[in-house]
Amino acid sequence: MKILSRRAFLSIGSQLGLLAFLPPVFVSRSHFRLFKRPYQPDADLFVARGGKAADLVDRVVAGLGGMSRFVHKGDVVAVKPNMSWDRTPAQGANTNPEVVAEVVKLCLEAGAKKVRVFDRTCNEAKRSYEHSGVADAAKKAGAEVYFPYKRNYVSVKIPDGERLHSWKIYKDVLDSDVLINLPTAKHHSLSQVTLGIKNLMGYLGNDRGKIHRHFDQKIVDIASVLHPGLTILDATRLLLRNGPQGGNLDDVKWIYTVIGGTDMVAVDSFGASLFGLNPDDLGFLVDAHKRGLGELDLKKVHIHQV
Amino acid sequence: MKHLHKIRILFQSLFFLFFLILFFQATFPYHPLVRAEFFLQWSPLTALLTFLSSHRVYAGMIPAGILLFLTIFLGRFFCGWICPLGAMIDFADLFIKRKRKLQRDSTKFRWLKFGILTALVVMALFSVQFVWFFDPLALTNRTFTTALYPMLVVLTESVFSWLWPVAFLQPMLMSVHGFLEGWLLPVNLHLIVQGIPIFLLFLGILSLNLISRRFWCRNVCPLGALLGIFAKFRILERTVDEEGCVSCRICQADCRMNAIEDNFVDFSKAECIDSLDCVDACPTQAVSYKFNLKNPKASKIDFSRRRFLQSVGSGVLAAGLFKIDFVNRESRGNHVRPPGALPEDQFLEQCIRCQECVRVCSTTGGLLQPSWLETGWEGIWSPIGNPREGYCEFTCNLCGEVCPTGAIQLLDLATKQKTKIGTAFFDHNRCIPWNSGDNCMVCQEHCPTPEKAIVFREGDFLTAEGKIKRVKYPYVKEDLCIGCGICVTKCPVEGSPGIFLTAEGAEREEV
Repeated sequence: MKILSRRAFLSIGSQLGLLAFLPPVFVSRSHFRLFKRPYQPDADLFVARGGKAADLVDRVVAGLGGMSRFVHKGDVVAVKPNMSWDRTPAQGANTNPEVVAEVVKLCLEAGAKKVRVFDRTCNEAKRSYEHSGVADAAKKAGAEVYFPYKRNYVSVKIPDGERLHSWKIYKDVLDSDVLINLPTAKHHSLSQVTLGIKNLMGYLGNDRGKIHRHFDQKIVDIASVLHPGLTILDATRLLLRNGPQGGNLDDVKWIYTVIGGTDMVAVDSFGASLFGLNPDDLGFLVDAHKRGLGELDLKKVHIHQV
Repeated sequence: MKHLHKIRILFQSLFFLFFLILFFQATFPYHPLVRAEFFLQWSPLTALLTFLSSHRVYAGMIPAGILLFLTIFLGRFFCGWICPLGAMIDFADLFIKRKRKLQRDSTKFRWLKFGILTALVVMALFSVQFVWFFDPLALTNRTFTTALYPMLVVLTESVFSWLWPVAFLQPMLMSVHGFLEGWLLPVNLHLIVQGIPIFLLFLGILSLNLISRRFWCRNVCPLGALLGIFAKFRILERTVDEEGCVSCRICQADCRMNAIEDNFVDFSKAECIDSLDCVDACPTQAVSYKFNLKNPKASKIDFSRRRFLQSVGSGVLAAGLFKIDFVNRESRGNHVRPPGALPEDQFLEQCIRCQECVRVCSTTGGLLQPSWLETGWEGIWSPIGNPREGYCEFTCNLCGEVCPTGAIQLLDLATKQKTKIGTAFFDHNRCIPWNSGDNCMVCQEHCPTPEKAIVFREGDFLTAEGKIKRVKYPYVKEDLCIGCGICVTKCPVEGSPGIFLTAEGAEREEV
């Protein structure tokens, strides 16, 4: 029984093939969904201390006004944990899986259609996803967890870039309605600490090694286009030394704290203070503040203990 | 019975499938039902020749011993029923149109396989292990690892690339790709070199079929030769009911090993692979295979004394040629071996270049590659590190898990994480802070040792304009560095990196 004649097959096949050679005008590059909601930082930070991870997250989000303030019914949410390193949760190099699971759960309860959790890892992808515990926890909470596909990055213009004028960002993030940044608090030899702003690097394409030269300016260039609607900083444990990947359990200090806020600079400033650092001493924060991305001075921020 | 040979084909297919399953299992995460290297340990040729070179025994020799023992009674059933190379040779043969020959194929090259075996044994006695070139199991695994599987991957990926510009197909492509990841497609494919020469060798072996069926098995394969010697007195015999035989010649013409003599009754025990084709082909069903415990006839081995002496001479010559390459050893300090690798002499005696370590490493850190001449002629296709392409994952010891001969010893993770395979060195002319005075630190960021083996010192840099600026200068702490190479992989400098790896200080324990 002939399903398709040879002629018909060749005809359809060559037409489809021709399509592939046409310039990719089909891919719309202008307004991505993510850019439709503007970055509106406010001066409120919510800090929860003491308790189980999930409980800390609940308190912070409740203080912020509930997840439905950020996630509308039917939204596609991109949750960006740190799952970049082939380290166990106790080693403090990745976001605490319990924190990730709770955030995913809250998004789905607020009516999100889809919650996407993925990261372009530093160590090998399968190892990092598995050993960090984040992939499993997020999947169990109902998120879509997958490995980024190497072709799915698009070049995004950075209009106010000081050093970078465009960079490749993973398309699924740009096609989401809201981005929730979920970093973990760690020491870093180049930037002194890695918190929310640096965590955004996990969505970047191209050769990320090149970002480390003139790092402060370049990371802020990225942050100037990639805005999280909400930043929840996982400080359930701090990696005090030998970051960003650690390895020695003695370098990890458990302080059972979670911080949430809409101002990515303020959240990072607070995070820096947990390490005993003055935000003014951190080049990337000073730069971000100068470029209007948020408030650096913790005295000008309302810190609510929840 | 007209369908006996189909049972043999079934077994060939099942063993080939078994080989494929073991191949696909050799990946991270490694939770095998059957150990990936198990099949590779079945070759008695490998067991014998690595033993003669290195005087080492390892547990993996046991399956080979069992196989050899069974061969004494059953003959070269391995070649006909189990060998994956044999299965592929038979499969390739289906594509060659052949007319039934009127004359019997020549047997004049039969001696060659015994000759190669002899030469390999002689070379092994001089501690030059060359079985890796010929062993069918190592060869098959090597071809799959470096050529066939990567080809499957790049061609499949090309289909995805080809369709990607069509926007409305993208979600579907991503979900199909996601489904295939982890089992058929790797999440990240690490480049593996040497695929082309390895494939050409494989293709050459299959192409020998153009001369005659199973030419490799009949005339070249030293494993076939070894099994043939042990099969000399086999008790499983091809028996012909001499009254039923009408001398039609069909069995002799159809025999893929050309093992049937001109009286159509006698057969060469050293050549017969129990394919059972002759049983089904006989138009009068006069052929059967029976156990003859009373008076099994011994077959002669087609290997004259003249040929034996020529082979010994060739073996000595070859051993000499390889050994004069030993002087190259000093420059090999540039290349790192896998963690747990035996000291170099023993390593080369034990390594059969099966690429199982390369295969499993390519699914994780991706440090290991088959070398070409970097470690000399005797080191061709043995695993060395290319840290620019991949690195040794800190939490991984899979290479030691999957090595079939123990050339790479299994180190438990805690030991492996303290075992040095080399040391990193900064190239001050290339490294960004040292050369240009800008901060970088990507190397230190990725250094996996709990106490970092790369540290920095803040210091002054004198610019071209004569100004001073502060920069973080990186240093390698040589006693902490284990030589994993991730710093080299991640170094953002184009071309020659700012940091490089040598085998300096590598700790390789003798066993």
